[in-house]
Amino acid sequence: MLGYIVRRLLVSIPVLFGILLVTFVLARAIPGDPCKAILGEKASQEVCERFTRRFGFDRPIYVQFGLYMGRVLQGDFGTSIRFSRPVSLILIERLPMTIELAVGGLIVALLIGVPLGLISAMRHNTGVDVSAMIFANIGISMPVFWLGLMLAYVFALLMKGTVFWLPPSGRLSAGLTSVPFYEVWGWSVQANTTKAMVLDFIANHFIFNSLITGDWKLLKDAVRHLILPVVALSTIPMAIIARMTRSSLLEVLGRDYVRTARAKGAMERRVVMKHALRNALLPVVTILGLQMGALLGGAVLTETVFGLAGVGRMLFEAITARDYPIIQAFTVVIAVSYMVINLIVDVSYGFLDPRIRFD
Amino acid sequence: MNRSKLLGATAGILAAAALVGPAHAFTGKSVAAPDCGYGGKVKSIEATDEMTVTFTLCRPDPAFMAKAAFTPFGIQPEEHLAATGGGGDILEKPIGTAPWKLAKWARGDSVIMKRFDDYWGDKPNYETLVFRWSDSGAGRLIELRSGTVDQITNISPDDFDSVKNDSSLTFIPVANPNTLYLAMTNTFAPMDNLEVRKAIAVGIDRQRIVDNFFPDGSEVASHFTPCSITNACEGESWYEFDAAKARKMLADAGFPNGFKTKIFFRDVFRGYLPEPSVVAVEFQTQLRDNLGIEAEVVVMESGEFIDESTSGRLDGFYLLGWGADYPHVTNFLDYHFSAKNPQYGTPHPEIFEILEKASTIADVAKAKPLYANANNAIKALVPMVPIAHGASASAALAGVENAHFRPFGAPLFHRADPKKDTFVFMQNAEPISLYCADETDGESLSVCQQIVEPLLGYAIDSGAIEPRLATGCGANDDSTVWTCNIRAGVKFHDGSSLDANDVVASWAAGIDAANVNHKGNTGSFDYYSYLWDGLMNAK
Amino acid sequence: MVTFKGGALELAESQTEERLLGSPTALWKTALRRLFRRKTGIVGMILVGFMFFVAVAAPVIAPYDPQNVLIGKEPVRKRAAPCIHLLGCSVDKPQHLMGIDGNFRDQLSRVIYGARVSLSIGFTTVAFAVTFGVLLGAIAGFWGGWLDNVIMRIMDVILGFPALLLAIAIVAVLGPGLRNALLAIAIVTLPAYARVMRASVLSIKELDYVAASRAIGASNIRILLTRVVPNALTPIVVLSTLGIASAILDAAGLSFLGLGAQPPTPEWGTMLGSERNQVFSAPHLVFFPGIAIMITVLGFNLLGDGMRDALDPRLND
Repeated sequence: MLGYIVRRLLVSIPVLFGILLVTFVLARAIPGDPCKAILGEKASQEVCERFTRRFGFDRPIYVQFGLYMGRVLQGDFGTSIRFSRPVSLILIERLPMTIELAVGGLIVALLIGVPLGLISAMRHNTGVDVSAMIFANIGISMPVFWLGLMLAYVFALLMKGTVFWLPPSGRLSAGLTSVPFYEVWGWSVQANTTKAMVLDFIANHFIFNSLITGDWKLLKDAVRHLILPVVALSTIPMAIIARMTRSSLLEVLGRDYVRTARAKGAMERRVVMKHALRNALLPVVTILGLQMGALLGGAVLTETVFGLAGVGRMLFEAITARDYPIIQAFTVVIAVSYMVINLIVDVSYGFLDPRIRFD
Repeated sequence: MNRSKLLGATAGILAAAALVGPAHAFTGKSVAAPDCGYGGKVKSIEATDEMTVTFTLCRPDPAFMAKAAFTPFGIQPEEHLAATGGGGDILEKPIGTAPWKLAKWARGDSVIMKRFDDYWGDKPNYETLVFRWSDSGAGRLIELRSGTVDQITNISPDDFDSVKNDSSLTFIPVANPNTLYLAMTNTFAPMDNLEVRKAIAVGIDRQRIVDNFFPDGSEVASHFTPCSITNACEGESWYEFDAAKARKMLADAGFPNGFKTKIFFRDVFRGYLPEPSVVAVEFQTQLRDNLGIEAEVVVMESGEFIDESTSGRLDGFYLLGWGADYPHVTNFLDYHFSAKNPQYGTPHPEIFEILEKASTIADVAKAKPLYANANNAIKALVPMVPIAHGASASAALAGVENAHFRPFGAPLFHRADPKKDTFVFMQNAEPISLYCADETDGESLSVCQQIVEPLLGYAIDSGAIEPRLATGCGANDDSTVWTCNIRAGVKFHDGSSLDANDVVASWAAGIDAANVNHKGNTGSFDYYSYLWDGLMNAK
Repeated sequence: MVTFKGGALELAESQTEERLLGSPTALWKTALRRLFRRKTGIVGMILVGFMFFVAVAAPVIAPYDPQNVLIGKEPVRKRAAPCIHLLGCSVDKPQHLMGIDGNFRDQLSRVIYGARVSLSIGFTTVAFAVTFGVLLGAIAGFWGGWLDNVIMRIMDVILGFPALLLAIAIVAVLGPGLRNALLAIAIVTLPAYARVMRASVLSIKELDYVAASRAIGASNIRILLTRVVPNALTPIVVLSTLGIASAILDAAGLSFLGLGAQPPTPEWGTMLGSERNQVFSAPHLVFFPGIAIMITVLGFNLLGDGMRDALDPRLND
């Protein structure tokens, strides 16, 4: 097992290098001058020349890549051109939003997707099956941004004045601020240290932070703001999970041991629950990892529609502004976390299914 | 923590020294360029006494006051600039004299400001001012309608009527002067042919564009500069639309069947161009129907578009416009038609020679005939076709008293009253930093001006200049030396008092490239360089 | 957003080995018969068929030219709501079933012509991705060794990015536009086909009869054409049907962000994106293109699902 993990990690190294290279080349290949993109139309030629020199964009591209690789290996992502702040700080602010969104989306997707697939498989090829599958497929076929706009229209505008009203954008209501748990608990934390950054990263998960500090008002507000984007984001993974659950359950139901159990007179529901479901859910676990990628991609559109300051939106804005350090760092972080999630999924799959060996 | 204590202590010492009276000697700071050879307008800035600052210019600048009222020239304490070195912390924690002091900038979400109780002028009626943002017009309006915000910027043109008819909202027209123009780069064929450009000028039905694609209150451009600006509309009005005549002109110029070209634009909402892609398609339709010109519509990324268009590298038409920075005709004409600007191809001496002469004349009446000649030359040479002056609007909840939007700069929120503790304003985007000496985007500037004040400011309902930290500024005869008297008794948010050295230090950090505090965000100090023709002591 | 990365790929990969028994033609016949017995498959076929009909018959059924600007030709308002005579819209007014868009054009005609654009987006993207994916997969599988390693590591790098993000970055490099958007989507979806093809080649290589044909001197190309391709075809067809669905959806997403088709092309994502600011004042301009995307994508998804069920020998009825 350990050998497998080590081998997987070793195989990841060239892929990781490839990701770094591709990101760097893509970022630099984007046409357009970061100077005009960042300083605006009123920047003069001299101003732009100074700007370019200051950020080293006048040096040969391979020198820039070498410097970049050197810094990344030391864990330094550099400083944003547009905000002149360390990219790691910006990540700490933005990543938790997207994590909350993606995890929320995944939870909703599982809560609806698995039962839907289950019902569909148990009533195989009946009207229930067909309508459940059409429902799931509608989920997968709707443009996320379109659903988002329609949800905002219904819940923020039409439902105004009712209990179903939900805020159309933002993370918290105006004026509310989330107090980090370490301040609530009176820890003394030195600013700008690694410890402070880690604690900030944790505290920026507003839902988690308000849960452990018992700030119910903030929790309620944060959850209400998250509902519409989470629903919009969850439709695609929900549909995929439903389809996967259905087909893998159908397959398991056709296997010998289930047939044996049935023949022994076990009741249908018990058969499904006890024997089939556990085995059928294994493939569902594998696709969860893959779905994280889709969730992160969908987050760009969801964050755009709902005005959320997450990683996807930031990356899109950075591409527009040619803010290379942000483009590079954010892409690398997303790609690496995607890799890690899939590794974890593969490994845990081995724990869940004793038939799988890793050698 | 430590620093604010230190600043507090320093301020205390200063106050004590002031009490002692005549014994306290004031040492005025100054900043200067060795000579005027660097090309910029500012020769030196000097604190001539504790409450007086003198600006010495290399050339006369009648627009000095209009420019000095601009937000990037806000004043911060000399000590704060020194403590931050003009970078780092100052980007997130500005200290000003304005009615609002910064409480918290929740990145990605909002900027929260609290009332400054020692403000020298009218204090706000409420405790907290919050800025939020959304880049979608629909998103902002729905926030306003659901009551989660109190005022929004830039409502979409199609929502004008529904906002006007909604009794729970106040419709607020914004009178920022702007111009949309259809540009042609004269270094590419066939736009190098004056007769072709003239035919296009006659062949565009500008009235139809304004009627159908611009909100109420927009106007067809009779001249390049909107008429609300002094001397803008001297000289002849633009050509009348006549499709048949235009077609004949184009045929006479050698293109009886039109030609193929492109229309470049960027998909960015501006007051002068509320619906870029829709208007671009309308130009495409008109060029085809009226002149037989087949133009492909090409959208470009904003930064790339600005770079390419303003360097004169776009082969075809492009759609661009201009929103006024400060209320003066030079802000429109000199920027666009100067000898240095290649955006329409080769600049026309027939235009820029007149403008250079006019820009040094302070007397409005004396400058008038020159601007008439300049406008006539623009009409005769058609470097571009001025299309429209777009109307834009803000909206507020009906319960907000004195909700307004100034023609120049963001609203003065301390003058408005939401009748509750908190006022929430929603703009287009998040500020980039809060040190506006080195920012150019309107979103950063509108937050900054709630916190930091310049020497002068713009009126609530016009481009008129009002005193702020200066009680007034006066010029010598040829308007090359400007003397500003600093208001007495003004406190900064950190408790220290304003004096002439704070003014010199704030300006020096921006305009003097060799200053120790000349750091900023990107270090470009764009507006210093652009409005004063360059930074002094730059290498 | 690339929907088939989940279920279909996994199934497709695991299927190849089981698919090898029996002759391909016979299997196709059974599969087709079974597809017709799936209700979801039939619904999918109907939807896809309908969209094909709309696309082909667009000039006949669309009441207006999609580029026809009606200013001065008809008394219509910009972004006017639908006017349907049957639903009580005054008969004096010209009928516009889906209303008028921001440029005074008939929205119905644009949505109808949009079917042409979207279907060609789906097919060209997938055709490109399949061609190159299959080619790369076949090369990797047959030649093996370092070439296999290089190709598959490149595929891993592509799969290492969330698909839509990578597509956005590629379009940012190539410049916005429909052709570049299609290319970007094709590039990010290509690894799925390469993987399936490679897996299929590898499993075939081991089989006795292939070894036998090699022994009697059959060339690699011949083995590829006669043995591998027919067997890999099934998962590829399923994958590409679902791929068409996700390509249409992804292209709409890129267009929504302003990176895909440019005006005045009647592309649904572009129509939706350029009118999204009017969602509250003119919801019809956002609603109808969205519905059109959904129906088309739904059709291909259901069809792909049905095909996968029908072609999967483990799922017998």
